[in-house]
Amino acid sequence: MALEVETRPADNGVTVLAPTGRLDVVGVPALKEAIGEAVKNSPPKVVIDMEGVSFVDSTGLGSVIAALKQIRNSQGELRLAAPNQQVRVVLELTTLDRVFPYYATVEEALTGL
Amino acid sequence: MGSNHFEFRASLSDLGEGLDVLHQSVERLRRAVGRDADDLSIIHFETALGEIGSNVLTHGRPRGTTRPVEYSLLLDGDEIVASLTDSGPMVHEHLGREMPSLEHEDGRGLAIARSLLDELGYERVGDLNRWRLVKRL
Repeated sequence: MALEVETRPADNGVTVLAPTGRLDVVGVPALKEAIGEAVKNSPPKVVIDMEGVSFVDSTGLGSVIAALKQIRNSQGELRLAAPNQQVRVVLELTTLDRVFPYYATVEEALTGL
Repeated sequence: MGSNHFEFRASLSDLGEGLDVLHQSVERLRRAVGRDADDLSIIHFETALGEIGSNVLTHGRPRGTTRPVEYSLLLDGDEIVASLTDSGPMVHEHLGREMPSLEHEDGRGLAIARSLLDELGYERVGDLNRWRLVKRL
């Protein structure tokens, strides 16, 4: 199942990326491409709406870590919104929830960004 | 109340299609045992299976081989047992790897699988790798 990524502009120059499908070794290239476009804004402010992500694996996590480094290097900010139970399990197990404090909804993630 | 016996077998020859089959088999199992989408035991098992399955489908079919990855998923009582057999090179140096620190982008797969399963077995038999994943419901 290929990952599809919808890009939506939001207020204050924020880009919302909404992937749908599995964020795994097969799906990662589509997210990387969308992140590559979003970081062209300066400074990049990105929310990844995880509601449509059914499953994430370690390769998918790696792509989000890479995106975070890329965005922070440009003095930007990356937030995750609406992860499902499986995504939360993986974030907490790997302690990456300390790096990605996730938000229950996109609206909450956009607040103050 | 769901069933306490389930069996699924497949031969996998492609990374994308193979991963689809692995996830579909867990969905069938979930329905067979009457668990919902937030059931943690099944989420833990599927997450571990995704990690091992991805490694096996990526590295377990060396160039030139036509031998598929053999996959089975069984439920016996309250124990889920998955088996993956591939003809890739022997796996040794990664098995004991700990969870990498936060800034690393890769190297978490086996550590995640080990943490979420009740048993993760690996053996080299002839020129085959055999993985065994066990999770109790």
